[in-house]
Amino acid sequence: MHDVQSILPVLLCVIPAAMAVITYPLARAARPLGPALNLIGSAAVTALAVPLVLGAVDGMVFVSLDRELRVDALSALLVAAIAGISLAAALYAAPYMKLESLLARVSRSAQDEEGTTRRRLATFYALSQAFLATMLWAVTTNNIIMLYVSVEASTIASGLLVAFYWDRRSLEAAYKYLLLLTVGIAFALFGCVLLYASAVPHIPTDAGLRGMLISDLPAAAAQIPRGLALAILAFFIVGFGTKAGIAPFHPWLPDAHAEAPSPVSALLSGVMIKMAIYAMARTLGIFFPAAAYHPIALFVVVLSAFTMLLGGVMCMAQDDLKRLLAYSSVSQMGYIAMGIGLIWIGFGTTAGYLGGYGGLFHLINHALAKAALFLAVGAIIYSTGGARRASELRGLARRMPVTAVCFFVAALAIAGMPPFNGFWSKLTLYLAAAQAHLWWAFGIAIATSLLTLVALVRAGYLVFWSDAEVAEADSDVRDAPVAMLVPMGLLAALCVGIGVYPQALYPLLDPAARALAGIF
Amino acid sequence: MYNARLIETLSLVMIMTSVAAVESRNLKRAATAYCLQALLICGLILAFAVGNPTLYVWAAVALVTKGVITPWLLLHYIARTGEEEARSIIGFGPSVLLASALLIASYTVTHHYVHFLAPTAEAAQGVFRTNLAVSMTVFALGLYGILSRRDAIKTVIGLCLLENAVHLSLVSLAPQMRETALIGIATEVVITVAMLLLVVAGIREQIGTTDTYELSELHW
Repeated sequence: MHDVQSILPVLLCVIPAAMAVITYPLARAARPLGPALNLIGSAAVTALAVPLVLGAVDGMVFVSLDRELRVDALSALLVAAIAGISLAAALYAAPYMKLESLLARVSRSAQDEEGTTRRRLATFYALSQAFLATMLWAVTTNNIIMLYVSVEASTIASGLLVAFYWDRRSLEAAYKYLLLLTVGIAFALFGCVLLYASAVPHIPTDAGLRGMLISDLPAAAAQIPRGLALAILAFFIVGFGTKAGIAPFHPWLPDAHAEAPSPVSALLSGVMIKMAIYAMARTLGIFFPAAAYHPIALFVVVLSAFTMLLGGVMCMAQDDLKRLLAYSSVSQMGYIAMGIGLIWIGFGTTAGYLGGYGGLFHLINHALAKAALFLAVGAIIYSTGGARRASELRGLARRMPVTAVCFFVAALAIAGMPPFNGFWSKLTLYLAAAQAHLWWAFGIAIATSLLTLVALVRAGYLVFWSDAEVAEADSDVRDAPVAMLVPMGLLAALCVGIGVYPQALYPLLDPAARALAGIF
Repeated sequence: MYNARLIETLSLVMIMTSVAAVESRNLKRAATAYCLQALLICGLILAFAVGNPTLYVWAAVALVTKGVITPWLLLHYIARTGEEEARSIIGFGPSVLLASALLIASYTVTHHYVHFLAPTAEAAQGVFRTNLAVSMTVFALGLYGILSRRDAIKTVIGLCLLENAVHLSLVSLAPQMRETALIGIATEVVITVAMLLLVVAGIREQIGTTDTYELSELHW
């Protein structure tokens, strides 16, 4: 690994932020400019992500602004996920946010309907870019205090996106979202500040290290007293865990992810919670491999096993498709967090490496599959004029063949079935749990996968296949427009592609997992 | 160097304003108590600034964000949604008792086990120790307010108390932190509060109340 001075990380954060600023006035002046600028911003960051990923594969670490921003393999992985999913969501949002029945919800009670809709849409596109900027900032910042600031900024940027429809349900979701995440993240702030303050006296400044930089903090971590370090770790787990949807801090997640407009749901479930788990892995990683913190790693695995099981069970009870997907996200975050915990239980051994590799692999796979699923349910909402309950939808497979295929591919991928991508990441996680001799975690992980399979396939069956004849007779439902099918199809195709050729991600996942698991 | 008597007196009055902000059933009065608390925090930070000139900037940041903007936002929205707080989960008498018990418990515990939180030896002694225990007490009271109140505006006031406590605790925890970081933290709190109040006003518009028990569309 070697540091390379680069302007790319700065551009990555500044471009979408600048887009956010110019989008609002321009989109208010001319409505088509909103989706166009949103697309341009997301395409620009995707283009910037390419050299970062290629560089990280070659062992480069990009740094800028006196190392305030730093992109190593782990950050590059997250940057690629965030940029890619945001591009898919931007492409999808352009037709989706024109849907009349949805816009009617927005301007329902307003006197000036056209003006209200226009203002609301301009806000939507501006905040989408702001949200993108804050997420990219969070995964590239190397400053422990700014990590808190950026994570909280992403909550602020997305709060009004959740409340977009401004009706009873979405306002309730937004209220819980803002309140719970702000309280939760206040704990993370304590963690960040305590870590910074307790590391400063021990940081070897004559070697050019600084106490505020995440990459320099491990040099001082060993000198922090154990009691204080445990408090800091607990603050990080509660703080970033709340944002990542780890149970029992998850109650905001199903509401927010279900009530937000579908492209926003894809971003929230696809990448925002991944950004939070990244923050958790990064900050916890500062203290490991010290054996003294072994119980904390075990605690993370216990919490994640609880999370996956709870999410899986709640998934079974849902009729609303978006809530079902949201609970499935809670459950899958459990798998990723389990991988992160296993890294330190088996630090320096195969178990740790497999945990890190499987966790990060599942992070990418879940981002792709869950975004595809939310886009597929969005397509159902689009085509049926707002229906999203499994019990009110019947036999859509003939009417919406592309959506049906995408839904099943992504659902089977999340359930961990071969030959899709989720199979490989879950297999890696099972192996990691077995190598660490945590058989209870191994059992819960497999059982939860079965629950997920049943819940998703059952919902898919009801919506797409049951009573096909009845539905055929009285339906004028058509599949969604091409601009919505393309991003959804691409995400589903990636699920298949990575499933067939899982080595494709190895060059990036390997250095990222090695960096976390301490194997060089 | 530090005026311990002054710091202790200000701290005591500040804890009382927290109780007043949580317990007052009139939202306007609760917001005023909150504003008073923010001013006391400025005073406290100034008392600490004798030994650390950067803290003058911190006091100014607290004055603008917590002493002026946040109370203005609160009063602005309270004027729109009504002064009377929606019924609390716990009655007035028991709630005051509970808050007092919580106050004493959290102060005693954090003052006693200060080494769990103090990042440096200095922070575990004298006025810094008092400051840390006071901050944690206000944090606990804010959390109590968030958990025990049904009124959405009151919950936001609880959140404001919690954030005040964080701001104050930084004086003991990270006095060497740069102003830019502190301004970042304080600004975000104000924006979050503004957004929450906007959403609460929307809720009031849609369902005619700020009682969070009426927010029952989404449970499972």
